[in-house]
Amino acid sequence: MTDFGFKLSKSSAVELDKVDTTLFERLCEASPDARICMNCGSCGATCTAGPYSGMSLRKVLLGLQRGQDVRPLLSGCMLCGKCTMVCPRGINTRNLILNLCRIYD
Amino acid sequence: MKENVVIIGGGIAGMEAARQLLLLGYHPIVVEQKDRLGGHVGQWHRLFPDMASAQDLIRGLGEEISDANIFLETKVNSINRLRDGYQVMLSNGVNVACRSLLVASGFQLFDAARKEEYGYGVYDHVITNSDLEAWFNGKPDVRIPEVPENVGFVHCVGSRDLKAGNLECSKVCCMTAVKQAIEIKEKFPSARVWCFYMDLRLFGKKYEDFYLGAQQEYGIQFVRGRVSEVGETADGRLQVKAEDTLTGKPLRVRLDLLVLMAGMACNPEMTRLARMARLDIDSDGFLKSLDNIRSINASNRPGIFFAGACTGPKTVPETLAEARAAALDIHRYLQKGL
Amino acid sequence: MIDRVASGFHPFVIPFVAGMVFVLGYCFIGIFRILLQLPAEDRKRFFISLVTPKTILKNIRDIFCDCLFHVKLWKRNRLLGYMHSSIAFGWFMLIVLGHIEVILFLPHRIRLFYYPIFFNFFVAEADSTIQGSLLFFLMDFFLLIILSGIALAMYKRIRSRIFGMRRTARPSLMNRIGLYSLWAIFPLRLLAESFTAHISGGSFLTIPANWVFRQFLGNDLNLLPTWWAYSIVLDVFMVVLPFSRYMHIPAEMMLIPLRNAGIRVRNARKGFAKVQVLSCPNCGVCIDACPMSVDKANIKDCTVYLTRQLRRKNERRIEEISDKCLLCGKCEAVCQVGVEGPALRIQLRSERKYALSPDYSCIPDPPPAESAGEGKVLYYAGCMSRLVPSVGRSVESVFRKAGIAYEWIDRDGGVCCGRPMYLAGRLEEAEAIVRKNEAQILGYGVGTLVVSCPICYKMFKEKYDLPGIRIVHYIDYMQELLDAGRLKASRSDLCYVYHDPCELGRGMGIYEEPRRLLGRIAAITESPKNRNESICCGGSLGSLTLSFAKREKMTRAALENLYDGKADAIATACPLCLATFSRYADRPVRDIAEIVDAQTVGTITKTEAI
Repeated sequence: MTDFGFKLSKSSAVELDKVDTTLFERLCEASPDARICMNCGSCGATCTAGPYSGMSLRKVLLGLQRGQDVRPLLSGCMLCGKCTMVCPRGINTRNLILNLCRIYD
Repeated sequence: MKENVVIIGGGIAGMEAARQLLLLGYHPIVVEQKDRLGGHVGQWHRLFPDMASAQDLIRGLGEEISDANIFLETKVNSINRLRDGYQVMLSNGVNVACRSLLVASGFQLFDAARKEEYGYGVYDHVITNSDLEAWFNGKPDVRIPEVPENVGFVHCVGSRDLKAGNLECSKVCCMTAVKQAIEIKEKFPSARVWCFYMDLRLFGKKYEDFYLGAQQEYGIQFVRGRVSEVGETADGRLQVKAEDTLTGKPLRVRLDLLVLMAGMACNPEMTRLARMARLDIDSDGFLKSLDNIRSINASNRPGIFFAGACTGPKTVPETLAEARAAALDIHRYLQKGL
Repeated sequence: MIDRVASGFHPFVIPFVAGMVFVLGYCFIGIFRILLQLPAEDRKRFFISLVTPKTILKNIRDIFCDCLFHVKLWKRNRLLGYMHSSIAFGWFMLIVLGHIEVILFLPHRIRLFYYPIFFNFFVAEADSTIQGSLLFFLMDFFLLIILSGIALAMYKRIRSRIFGMRRTARPSLMNRIGLYSLWAIFPLRLLAESFTAHISGGSFLTIPANWVFRQFLGNDLNLLPTWWAYSIVLDVFMVVLPFSRYMHIPAEMMLIPLRNAGIRVRNARKGFAKVQVLSCPNCGVCIDACPMSVDKANIKDCTVYLTRQLRRKNERRIEEISDKCLLCGKCEAVCQVGVEGPALRIQLRSERKYALSPDYSCIPDPPPAESAGEGKVLYYAGCMSRLVPSVGRSVESVFRKAGIAYEWIDRDGGVCCGRPMYLAGRLEEAEAIVRKNEAQILGYGVGTLVVSCPICYKMFKEKYDLPGIRIVHYIDYMQELLDAGRLKASRSDLCYVYHDPCELGRGMGIYEEPRRLLGRIAAITESPKNRNESICCGGSLGSLTLSFAKREKMTRAALENLYDGKADAIATACPLCLATFSRYADRPVRDIAEIVDAQTVGTITKTEAI
């Protein structure tokens, strides 16, 4: 192959219209709250597991909508409920996490 | 004999409306709970976007309404419907009959202590926007260090927050934070200043200029993340935790001063008035205008009009414009009846 | 007293006998199955308890107090207590006296177990039976007592309020049949015995009634139909019993020995839990007690409905009910038979299958024990305390004033105590958190662990293995500091009403200590519902599905209970209650730690641990 001095690599852009959001939609059925996150970041900042697993519910919800694997984030969650306490939108975060853990495939 | 118009609230809305009503040939009666006119603006220092003196504004308005009847430290005890107007009983014993009433009862600054995680009233160096303005006005405040190194501003304290009982945006805090951050930088050029925001809502005339200036000239840093808790390090410095949502990393910063941008909450006095005069309350808890496009000043009751932040958060120019509009509405209402 | 029926048999006893055989058979099979379902270890424990004299005595006492005299109900409401105990004890006495009659007068018939029940049908009065008049009197007396109880029960269906119950459970079809047949049993018995009283004898109730009936019914034609009716109604009751709430009568007699043997709920569907579910009498006392029932929509999620749905195996509702509950434990505290609503729900939650399980290997193990912690106390504020910084700060300030050397383990974040995970029913995951946290705490090498959150406190006390470490809530620790003279207290001008947090009060039985500590520094007043009947603040982590908005009503209702004319402020000892109440309270809410900090000065200059 001719070396043109640059390579074509797969684009790192998210093809938003092609992302598989089935899991997110299923989560929304169980926890409609999942749709109302405004990405303020309170949950991630206060998260007890954050320093260990990088957990941030905001990232989990956004990641699901962008087709990312969020399992590593979720794995540290201790269900302590701090995110429920600080969420300005009043999302029932613990129930949402439990539902997500139930339906994840 | 000039016709009475009762204005409930002696803040800038009430003052400006009184001024206009005087010009239109009425006899405004301003009822103010506090011992001075001017409301919240009366305690402010400088006003964006012109950085004009709030004191000058109040002084000017005050001079122009010296012919109005002003009752300080007075509350409305009751409002009763008459055949073609209202009878307003005041706590000082005065009884006024009028055909038209203006509600300009304003807002209440959200009590920042209710956001317990921010530690207002617990930590030594946590203040509110209002405390900072008072300090700019010369009121000493031991919570503000002599030369703060690191200063943080928290946007949306008690606004856009279901837990604080207010889902709405308070509109002015973003711009106030930018303004106050600049003022802090002017006072303490060596300080590092961070603004923690959820969304920067800089919608008004020249607001974007302030944002640009804050970045360009003052080096103020904007962090997109809501502060979730404020702690204290073992050596007694404030430690703020937020998520930098743009990099997706939790971040911590040690501060010498934290300023909470307390938002606009419903005034309990307003709720009391609404019950008395059977005024409708909107879903956000503020008074309900007849509609939010053409008749912001009109209420569900004939002859009762609104001006200013009693119907929701407003900036100073908006409030003044609304007060003038309300004065005209009242004029038209009273003329029609003659 | 002589036999009137030579064969000692009449066909009308058949329904009763059939019902009795059915119910006894059902119960014996039930007992056998329950025993099989118990884990071997529990079963062994149960059998040992049955031969331990102390437990035997306790069992007998409890069965008499709870099943027959309904002592707990008397304490709740005298009318309610009378209603239940009159029927239960009265009926028991009728059966006992019936047997005594048979033994005394017709001992050869004792093997016919229907004889004591239908005694008056089978006997005729003889000259020699004058000694029986006391027994006859007692029979009529207890029948009257029961009838008064039945009358009250009927009235209760119309107006439950005078029995101290605002709401009662809606009876299901089987419960209705059971109820109406129970109501019918005793009036029919009165009729039957009255119609027979001129033959068999009777006492103050049956003889006058017999006389009245004979005035206008000049023959004995009514005699047999009423005995038939009596027997049939007994049969209906007994046939319905296993499928209705009346199953609680035999089940409770099984529950008491099991509980006294120290057996705990380990599976929500089998064994001990099953007995608890069957023991629920559907009285509905838990409905009024439940903090969720301020919202009408939640009434069907109270424990009485959980037990009902568990019996019906309605899985959808079981899941809803078990997930919604705040696990405040109040239903258990007021329950007359001791159904453990929260424990049942946690076990039900634990049945869920999750596709994802946490992995806490990301939490680093602490470096090996250093001497840094030696001689110090360790303070664990807990997750919630960090959201109400006033609590941790006050505890810290008190430590400093009292000259206590301390380490704050989670000042800058830490590991959760595991209780929220446990409450969610993920028991193994909770266990994993506990083991992580144990390692962290042991790493400090301290002798005392001070906790400020009752949720953590309960977990530490019950699930942690921390050898050599005393776990203490700051309530006790601060009391000790005051007792030791390391702090000097002044009295506050404010009067406080103390709110018992669920986990500290009902959870750990700590009711008096906070009052003693607070009483030392301020005036206290009590709210109408306090101690074990304190109303959950609504912020509990126990509920999985209650939304923030739905909890507001509960918080406001709990606050209403605390708004006392005398109280200037509300005091509590749980960061979650503090945060929840602060949102809506019309007066200041303070943690006891804050009040202690504000009212004390240190007397010691040297820093050390005690």
